[in-house]
Amino acid sequence: MSLLSLEGVSRVYATRRGLFGTPVPVRAVDHISFSVAPGRTLGIVGESGCGKSTTGRVALGIERPSEGTVSFEGAAMPTPGTPEWRRLRARLQLVYQDPLGAMDRRLTVAAQVAEPLEIHGIGDKAERQDRVAALLRDVGLRADLAQRHPHELSGGQRQRAVLARALATDPALLVADEPVSALDVSIQAQVINMLTDLQEARGIAMLFISHDLKVVRQVSHEVAVMYLGRIVEQGDPEAIFADPLHPYSRALVSAIPVPGPRRIERIVLSGDPPNPADRPSGCAFHPRCALATASCRAEVPQLKPAADGRQVACHLVEAA
Amino acid sequence: MSEQVVPVVAAPPRPKVAIPPGVALAMLWLGLMVATALLADVIRPYGITAMDLRARLQPPVGFGGDWAHPLGTDELGRDVFSRLVESIRMSLMIAFGATIIAAVFGTTMGFLAAHFRGWVEQAVLMLIDFQASMPFLILALSVLAFFGNSLPLFICLMGLYGWERHARISRGLAIAANAQGYAAAVRQLGATPMRIYLKHVLPNIASTLIVAATLSFPEVVLLESGLSFLGLGVQPPMTSLGNMVGYGREYLTRAPWILLSPSVVIVLTTLSVSILGDWLRDRLDPTLT
Amino acid sequence: MLRFVALRVGRALLTIALVVTFAFVVLRLSGDPALMIMSPDAPPEALAAFRQAWGLDEPIWLQYLKYFTAILQGELGQSFRDGRPALELVAERIPATLQLTLPALALKVGLGVPAGIYAALHRNSAIDRAVMTFAVTGFTVPSFVLGLVLVLVFAVQLGWLPSGGQESWRSVILPVISMGLGGAGILARFTRSAMLEVLGQPYIRTASAKGVPWGQVVRGHALPNAAIPTVTIVGFMVGTLLAGAVVVESVFSWPGVGRLMVVAVSNRDLAVVQCILLLVSATMVTSNLIVDLLYGVLDPRLRGTAPAGGGH
Repeated sequence: MSLLSLEGVSRVYATRRGLFGTPVPVRAVDHISFSVAPGRTLGIVGESGCGKSTTGRVALGIERPSEGTVSFEGAAMPTPGTPEWRRLRARLQLVYQDPLGAMDRRLTVAAQVAEPLEIHGIGDKAERQDRVAALLRDVGLRADLAQRHPHELSGGQRQRAVLARALATDPALLVADEPVSALDVSIQAQVINMLTDLQEARGIAMLFISHDLKVVRQVSHEVAVMYLGRIVEQGDPEAIFADPLHPYSRALVSAIPVPGPRRIERIVLSGDPPNPADRPSGCAFHPRCALATASCRAEVPQLKPAADGRQVACHLVEAA
Repeated sequence: MSEQVVPVVAAPPRPKVAIPPGVALAMLWLGLMVATALLADVIRPYGITAMDLRARLQPPVGFGGDWAHPLGTDELGRDVFSRLVESIRMSLMIAFGATIIAAVFGTTMGFLAAHFRGWVEQAVLMLIDFQASMPFLILALSVLAFFGNSLPLFICLMGLYGWERHARISRGLAIAANAQGYAAAVRQLGATPMRIYLKHVLPNIASTLIVAATLSFPEVVLLESGLSFLGLGVQPPMTSLGNMVGYGREYLTRAPWILLSPSVVIVLTTLSVSILGDWLRDRLDPTLT
Repeated sequence: MLRFVALRVGRALLTIALVVTFAFVVLRLSGDPALMIMSPDAPPEALAAFRQAWGLDEPIWLQYLKYFTAILQGELGQSFRDGRPALELVAERIPATLQLTLPALALKVGLGVPAGIYAALHRNSAIDRAVMTFAVTGFTVPSFVLGLVLVLVFAVQLGWLPSGGQESWRSVILPVISMGLGGAGILARFTRSAMLEVLGQPYIRTASAKGVPWGQVVRGHALPNAAIPTVTIVGFMVGTLLAGAVVVESVFSWPGVGRLMVVAVSNRDLAVVQCILLLVSATMVTSNLIVDLLYGVLDPRLRGTAPAGGGH
């Protein structure tokens, strides 16, 4: 049984162009479906503006989908702000790109890690203290840092503190939205390793959102490539990495620097970067695709099964 | 699990705050006023209604008076110094009470607007516009005319002064906090709106709100003394600074001291709070106007 | 532009409607409006007629509607002191109030704006500091204290000017100074910061770096741009002219609208109070509207967006 599943989910925003412009609906997320099993990681990768963060927020239940359904542990996601929704927060947690912004700068690390326990009424004061100490140990923060304030920590330490807070209520699902992209490269690997270790030890499922295919490949059991609000390719990370089927995935994979001779020629994307407010007809990728044909301009390709159990949305890829 | 070079950013050593002499004087004066208000019963040599008909219209010390009545007496032989002490207590109490009411009410309205958005926000914004576009003195006078006067009503009425400033600030800052950052994060942890606003947003914006309150405080003092001067604020036998000036006005030619001492206190107090408020604003929140 | 004007006019009308609603609500909350507006010892027939005319036995929303239309038609009730229409009583006091408030406004603008500009152009000079000190004093000394001190010095001690009444042009001097000096201080402070803000802008530095003479930079670029916020505050002052007259007219026993307001409030002469309330809000709203429209002329970028509120 899947822990989290999204069924035909879209998220539409109304944006105004200019001061007196009529509102234009922008589909940030367009008809996507996926599910995450307990203890597994689904990586979502794509450029900024492709709707991956919105997907994460909808999956968490912070935003409601405009169309489609989100269910968690077999039940529909409750409306944000309701008591059930608040109770469910103990099971679903978010790891932020900017840990400093996600923390109250006036409170100590210990106070912030204890906060979800207070909110959900877990344990008494002494138990909470023990639990906070254990959590800080688990994420590798020295005990003396507990009484520090966020601005007195390094970037990596902050991300660990935010992670400790997210883990406090033993969540079943973590949504990690670009959790390491604001960190130094040298610290990224440490945080990633810790994240995967903790996930394994605690059996947490994870939705790992990143623009960095390399990082996604490291942590994910499955990868979904997003382009302009739609999933264009989904499947086993090694398979996608070795043999990307969708032209967009191919471009992403080719952009990863690799030592030694390249297996795939570097593809430089031409054309305008994608703008969700001005979505091309047919396959949204066609203006930047070297292989585009007339049908790509006319018809939106649907996600269909391809080689090695993968799913691809491209007219040019043979169905398996 | 070791992060090799842990740049332990120690809290920057608090730079020694050099308090400008003007600000120091303002603090000193305000301290004196607060002490006077708190200790009024001890300081006051006479009752405020105690009349001494043999010592009517006595001038202050230095103008032919004696130390029995250091600031002189009025037409009924009441001790001006004692009345001044009591007036300071009354005026400060009203100004403090009103400023606190305005801050609490305004901040609540601002949070409501930020939380519910939509028509609640529009309604609050409309009230803010209304309040900001009407001279408060006229509104206050109208309410006093319709409802008559009593001290609690008067304090509440003064408490309506300046709420829109707090509402505007707290709305803006709460919307900013909700849009990104710590408030959104705490919400995601499952906190109730009450907890988010009281435990997280409020402490984070408190310094700005305090600065805003120091801007309102002298204005409330002026408003109260103005209304009391007109005989429409604090009613006898109670007395306030404006009240004393209003009464002293009748004796302007014969006994100007009755009016001058409360006037000096009003001016020095509002001046001190303004100086302190400007200084605090420059230090805490230079964006506020 | 049409849309901009329509929006502004709509907002002005809305504010007036709010004031009328405020008066209606307060009137209903405070007791029987018939007794309040007429007088407690009015003949019963008159009370009955009043109730009928204002529809006091009808549902509240209908009453509100009727109250609204009555006010639109200028029916503002009678003063219960002498039974004359409130509007008439208020109207005949307006010229006296204008005799004080218009010169006071001229004093505020004529003294405050040049002082502010001068202070900004000579920042940190002795004169700048003097202007700023004067400005702070301007809004910490209440007008009634200033007025009484002026009376004490110039009327009682020196005997140069009359202490009250309305005999000659000399009677105007002290009230105008007590009314205008504080506002001049506020305006000076405001103009100074508006000027400093503009002078700090890159285009001013660019113009000056390109060799445009400083005087020309100030006249051509700085002053017009600093005028925008200054106009707002002056507009706000025009709106509060009547309100400012309340205290000063009482100090100098000047027979204007302000004095009438104080007397009406202490007598709880509600028809008169309500009439002045509406008059004040109408001036306030009109001056705000004019400022808003002027904004549109001075700064075309602002058309359609809300300028910063008129408060200070």
